[in-house]
Amino acid sequence: MRKALLSCAICAALPLASAQAEVTFHGFANIVAGQASSGDTQWGYDDDIDFKQDSLFALQASTDLGEGLSATAQIISRGENDWEAEFEWAYIAYDINEHTRLLAGRQRAPLYMYSDYLDVSYAYPWITPPEGVYNLELSKFDGLSITHTFSLGEFDTSAQAFFGSDNDDTNVQGIEVNTNFDDIWGATLTLNRDWLTLRTAFLELDLTIPIPVFDQLAAAWRDVATFDHVADALVISEDTAEFFEFGAVIDYHNWLFIAEVTRINYDNMPLETEESMFVTAGYRFDDVLVHLTYGVDENTINSVGERLPLGVSPELDQLVGFTMQGLEFRNEDSSYYTLGARWDFHPSAALKVEFSHRDNDLTNQDTSLVRTALVTVF
Amino acid sequence: MKLLTPITLAITFAFTLTTSMFASAEVAVIVNPANANTLSDSDISRAFLGKLKTYADGQSIKAVNSQTQSPARAEFEKLVLKKSAAQVKAYWSKRLFTGKGKPLKELGSDADVLSFVASTPNAIGYVDAASVDSTVKVLKRF
Repeated sequence: MRKALLSCAICAALPLASAQAEVTFHGFANIVAGQASSGDTQWGYDDDIDFKQDSLFALQASTDLGEGLSATAQIISRGENDWEAEFEWAYIAYDINEHTRLLAGRQRAPLYMYSDYLDVSYAYPWITPPEGVYNLELSKFDGLSITHTFSLGEFDTSAQAFFGSDNDDTNVQGIEVNTNFDDIWGATLTLNRDWLTLRTAFLELDLTIPIPVFDQLAAAWRDVATFDHVADALVISEDTAEFFEFGAVIDYHNWLFIAEVTRINYDNMPLETEESMFVTAGYRFDDVLVHLTYGVDENTINSVGERLPLGVSPELDQLVGFTMQGLEFRNEDSSYYTLGARWDFHPSAALKVEFSHRDNDLTNQDTSLVRTALVTVF
Repeated sequence: MKLLTPITLAITFAFTLTTSMFASAEVAVIVNPANANTLSDSDISRAFLGKLKTYADGQSIKAVNSQTQSPARAEFEKLVLKKSAAQVKAYWSKRLFTGKGKPLKELGSDADVLSFVASTPNAIGYVDAASVDSTVKVLKRF
């Protein structure tokens, strides 16, 4: 039904718009196949070959309305969501002047270096950007952003400020929940000169994520006198999170180096902090880019767990046990490496292969994943 | 063991592909004869990547590309943009799908580029140096 509505919307918009301005269509597609090592799961794959997890098809329609005004919609259909189509971008852009652009509508949350073109696998070396860093549920928002480009010495500089919210159904640990990302605001700064790009971002938002396990635990703690603070820490309701990012790309002759670090501070939530980083080094042999990535993800959980009462009663001990388990489930200390290659075998398409090995230090589990992808832009 | 196959595959890709060679010809970056502006090599590159939008005199820059298969384009991308065709394509797809810019208008032949630049005051293009005629001004040869 939803898909039918979307296509109707496009068809209906087309003749109307073409009466005044030309609508141009572009698109991209990633077809990815992957398989995890025997008996293991990694990044959404298990040990059966899967073609859906990272595969997607996107269509972008844009039209220039003149006088600096343009409208763009990008619809992505993801295998992961049973190919259900969704608007990832849908905005009206207004060029206030040659250097300043205002976007109103649905757009990418510009958290990471590769956020803006997260799904355009053709535009970056890997099949998907490094999994650990790019795993935050917030990928888009509805709101306003303003981007100003200017020269800072020898650097082409771009500064962006944004404000908005995102309400969506998100899959949190296998459960479909309605998440609210409210009062999202932040800024990014990108500097580029020849072979060097530097980027930094800051973002703050209010999170409301009803996770059934934590909500049930919280209800139990509210029944215990004087332990409301434990309940508050377990429930994610209008709690503030801060996000910091710094990234760099060196693209010098045939060498490519990419590094990015992120940190998230959660206020009064089951998770306390989330830190991620990765470095990628690559070398281009004519049409083939060979690359190696190393990444680390470390979470810390709310220290409320360390101050829970033990030995008061068997019932309370059981609740403490469940609470600790719940918190530990959000804990993470893992590292991975990915060895891959990208072959530009066609003017508009590339073939990629990757082998990733992930090491979970908390559970002492090692898993591997092999993926191959055909990516294209049209 | 079967997991090692992609690695071997990647290495094989890397070492067995032969470097494609094309005859190198001189490329001339051209503007309208009425255009008195000068551009440095870096400015020329930025103009064709959509980063530099105006000339020193305030006129907007209208850069045009040659079609994908043209030898002048391969030379231009290598010598001026210092990128491979795939890198340039990746760069524009990045800009296109983030709403930051559209790929340059592509013209079919050197003759088309010459006539476009000759008739458009703020145009900039490039052609095989041997194709240049008196209807345009050569800004720089690479």
